[in-house]
Amino acid sequence: MASKFGLAGGIPERRVRPIWDAIDSRQFKNALKLSASLLAKYPSSPYALALKALILERMGKPEEALSVCSSAKELLYKNDTFLMDDLTLSTLQIVFQRLDHLDLARSCYEYACGKFPNNLELMMGLFNCYVREYSFVKQQQTAIKMYKLVGEERFLLWAVCSIQLQVFCGNGGEKLLLLAEGLLKKHVASHSLHEPEALIVYISVLEQQAKYGDALEILSGKLGSLFVIEVDRLRIQGRLLARAGDYSDAANIFQKILELSPDDWECFLHYLGCLLEDDTNWCNGVPNDPILPSKHMDCKLSHLKEELFDSRMSDASEFVQKLQAGTSDNTLRCPYLANLEVERRKHLYGKGDDDKLMDALMQYFFRFGHLACFTSDVEVFLEVLTPDKKTEFLEKLKKGSESLSTVPTKVLGQSITILKVQEVVGKMYKLSKSELEGSAVQMVELYCRNLPLSKDLDPQESMHGEELLSMACNVLVQLFWRTRHLGYFIEAIMILEFGLTIRRYVWQYKVLLLHLYSLMGALSSAYECYKSLDAKNILMETVSHHILPQMLVSPLWVDLNNLLKDYLKFMDDHFRESADLTFLAYRHRNYSKVIEFVQFKQQLQHSNQYLVARVEAPILHLKQNADNIEEEERVLESLKCGIQFIELSNEIGSKSLTFNEDLQSRPWWTPTSEKNYLLGPFEGISFFPRENMTTEREANVRRVIERKSLLPRMIYLSIRSASALLKENIEVNGSLSDPKTSSELKFLLERYAKLLGFSLSDSIEVVLGVSSGIKPSSTIDSDLIDWLNFAVFLNAWNLSSHELAQPNLDGYKAGSWHIVDSLLEKYISEKVRSMDPLICSPWVDLPILVQLVSEPLAWHGLVLQSCLRSSLPSGKRKKKGGPDSTSPPFHAIRESIQSSCGTIEDVMKWLREQINRPEDENLETTLSFLQGKGQNEGPGQVFKIVETFASSINDTELGDWISQAVKCWSPVDVARKIVTGKCTVLSEFLQMCGSKMKLLQALKQQIAQV
Amino acid sequence: MTTIRRFCCNDLLRFTSVNLDHLTETFNMSFYMTYLARWPDYFHVAEGPGNRIMGYIMGKVEGQGESWHGHVTAVTVAPEYRRQQLAKKLMNLLEEISDKIDKAYFVDLFVRASNTPAIKMYEKLGYIIYRRVLRYYSGEEDGLDMRKALSRDVDKKSIIPLKRPITPDELEYD
Repeated sequence: MASKFGLAGGIPERRVRPIWDAIDSRQFKNALKLSASLLAKYPSSPYALALKALILERMGKPEEALSVCSSAKELLYKNDTFLMDDLTLSTLQIVFQRLDHLDLARSCYEYACGKFPNNLELMMGLFNCYVREYSFVKQQQTAIKMYKLVGEERFLLWAVCSIQLQVFCGNGGEKLLLLAEGLLKKHVASHSLHEPEALIVYISVLEQQAKYGDALEILSGKLGSLFVIEVDRLRIQGRLLARAGDYSDAANIFQKILELSPDDWECFLHYLGCLLEDDTNWCNGVPNDPILPSKHMDCKLSHLKEELFDSRMSDASEFVQKLQAGTSDNTLRCPYLANLEVERRKHLYGKGDDDKLMDALMQYFFRFGHLACFTSDVEVFLEVLTPDKKTEFLEKLKKGSESLSTVPTKVLGQSITILKVQEVVGKMYKLSKSELEGSAVQMVELYCRNLPLSKDLDPQESMHGEELLSMACNVLVQLFWRTRHLGYFIEAIMILEFGLTIRRYVWQYKVLLLHLYSLMGALSSAYECYKSLDAKNILMETVSHHILPQMLVSPLWVDLNNLLKDYLKFMDDHFRESADLTFLAYRHRNYSKVIEFVQFKQQLQHSNQYLVARVEAPILHLKQNADNIEEEERVLESLKCGIQFIELSNEIGSKSLTFNEDLQSRPWWTPTSEKNYLLGPFEGISFFPRENMTTEREANVRRVIERKSLLPRMIYLSIRSASALLKENIEVNGSLSDPKTSSELKFLLERYAKLLGFSLSDSIEVVLGVSSGIKPSSTIDSDLIDWLNFAVFLNAWNLSSHELAQPNLDGYKAGSWHIVDSLLEKYISEKVRSMDPLICSPWVDLPILVQLVSEPLAWHGLVLQSCLRSSLPSGKRKKKGGPDSTSPPFHAIRESIQSSCGTIEDVMKWLREQINRPEDENLETTLSFLQGKGQNEGPGQVFKIVETFASSINDTELGDWISQAVKCWSPVDVARKIVTGKCTVLSEFLQMCGSKMKLLQALKQQIAQV
Repeated sequence: MTTIRRFCCNDLLRFTSVNLDHLTETFNMSFYMTYLARWPDYFHVAEGPGNRIMGYIMGKVEGQGESWHGHVTAVTVAPEYRRQQLAKKLMNLLEEISDKIDKAYFVDLFVRASNTPAIKMYEKLGYIIYRRVLRYYSGEEDGLDMRKALSRDVDKKSIIPLKRPITPDELEYD
């Protein structure tokens, strides 16, 4: 092989090194120069060419790079005397990969391996190529060849992993596992195994075939000693026994683990499950949802006879007592929580004793009541209690805490716990308005009073009692929901901002604020909150649901563009590099990670959010460029005229979707981005379960993607269709009217209509009916934007097909132009009129107004542009035989432009009124919501506490940094944040309308000149 | 109430509440996955009831000869689970793996010189400040290289503090 010492790709290393150095230091021009002289000396060296290609690719010249690379490849193939070294091949591979030509890279390696069949290095390179292409079968074949060649354990495991991948991530049948098992068995018999990871894979292959006995035998044999950490081995053993249905042995094993690590909660649940012969955890291979594991510890009602059940439970209790007695570590929660679980199981069996459960809860409280995690620890146990018992427990807690501790931080912790339990058991929803106010007051007072406890903490550390402000915010928002009094809402914003003034790192406050600002319409302030979360990399997948849905319907296009761009880049980068990381796992013999990585990539690839972003990003570009038809056509061209998206729309129905968002961090009033309780009337629900709404969300996302991904193509076809309108007048035979465009657009209109739940003719009836006032305007309220888009595309289609103008449609004469004009005018003006004039009220309707302007009105603008462009005399035909400006189509266009102008003008007028209102006045209005009318009820109570506290701070008591921070507190600044947050949105919207107006004016002039 | 187990990819989708904390860095994917692919035994997560992620530790083992050592790249605990000695348990686990499985000489870590609470915690766990690395963090803030000797370093040679501070390019490992 060529990798002889001192040679690089057959060229002396000293000649190549300067090129490498230049590339490494990003001096590509210099590198290219050096490469030219190298090529002069070695004109037919594939390596020299590969280097040149690498440099060109780095310089951003992909086409040249590809052509040079291909020449290098040809040279490799042509001349048999050339050496096939891994350096040349891997350099070519890098370039081909960066140029998205994995297939070409692979074929180089395939060729090389064919030439030198027993070269391990080349075979590994080829294996790597297959890993990159996710060709599991080819991977398996190559690995087996390598294994046969050198007999190494690792290559066998590569083959086994490739088999497992076929079964779990490809379309291989489970029978293949038998083959993997056979390979392993044979190897073990002759060579044994030497790495714990290999053993893990061996056991998993057996487990996947339900051969638990065989797996256990191996584990207890000599190979078992590969696990250095005893607990690791025991965990597998316990799992295998339980799966095999040998519950009593499994329970013993789990007991052993607990003796070694008494805080292992999961293990305790397994132990108890096995005692009760409950197979919930074991029967299905995959533990429910890996991302959203069930919060409720699933278990089956035990089928055991009562006597046996009693004796098993008493065994469990006895063991728990032993665990408790055996530990001196007072941070171990498991042995104490175990008591609660034992009582809960008795409850489920029908032999529960509320008093005992409450007693166990109290015991847990005495020990751990001061911890921030107390409430989430016991939540599932509280659910077992009846509402009355819950109240009783709450009373007990209050009494019990009085005599507990004297350490101030613990006292505070317990007080917070009691308030949290009150929240969790649903007590808050039964309180009267004034009791709720009292509760919020109590929380904020407690927070302020205990601030001195944190004075010696580092400002970066979380402070004592921080969660109190989040809890108070929750109460205030509930008060708002009940009373619709905006004061509570603004008060909630105020206290969270107060908290952030003291410590600006509390992400929980930021998330709450983000949602409060969003609902207020102060979206740019919400976006600032989001940015301050610094949600980068994988957090974009799990956290951006907080802001993305609002941004998608906002006029903040620049920010939205950044949001989408960063997110898509992150995801696409990962998809590109994931296979290389998988190969890294192969190389380092961490086989169990191989399958994990491939599955994880699939998990992200099916992300519903990713698919939405992939559709929304181009739609945003279409919106941004809609006022300039040439620019729009360039965008469409880059989108292959929307064809790809039609494919997405076709296949989305059968695609499995994943939901990776972290919904736990969402506030109670909006548990998913589709749901917001505050938009509806107050419901007397006592508890907001974060139930798994995946099915509902899945259907919703599919619907959205299916519709939206039709848009680019429909816009493209509409532009084409509209261009036929006036051209037809020029061409005598009308041959420019493209029948294909017309029929495709009709087909898509039919689909669009179907997605709205109607046939094409019925939906035409609907838009006709609504536009002429025969049908009530509420008919299309629920899918308003889609309906108006439909009307716009319908008109465009009609311009070339004229099907609508036929008299069979109820003798309707005014034509499809009129439908669009009147619908746009009707809904936009309606929205403008219904908009709340107050600067500090929630704006629920604004996003709809923004969408009306940025979608149907914009697409209609494109139709107008296209019509007029085609009417312009071009080249030779100057003036001769130009279109007749008095003809009916011209008349309709003129009217439509006029109508759109009027509609936009309405919006702009309203926007200007809002924006031009003096800031002082806005601030005053906002703050006035917090001024109580001298009574001790209504909004403003909590705010008053903060105000009083801030105006009477005691420097020595609070310490330097806290008192300095409190001094910076300014409610006016917060009010300004609300007001400017809104005004920014309005200004952006005004700008968008301004651009449309400019376009319409230009069109007006154009048509006047025809 | 802690089940400590190996970290897996799906945990990346579940560690949000831990990573939104401003002192916890969210690295790029290849960083996490390289650690998972190369040192899966050094990447552990602690789970509480309801499968909530309480915290995690990531690290690696590297070096040659007497510099063969475990390294703590990140250790973090969600606010809800702080003040329960969870970081200590995670650190002990990594030390045990470095000591027993990989027979390393010491464990080391880097910390911002300004992060007093963390420095105090590591000192409590038996780490000493071995040396200062000038402008280690983004070319601005100094880092402290802290070490704890393991059983193989019988004479505790690895933790004799260096007298002078060093610059990042003098570091043997990243």
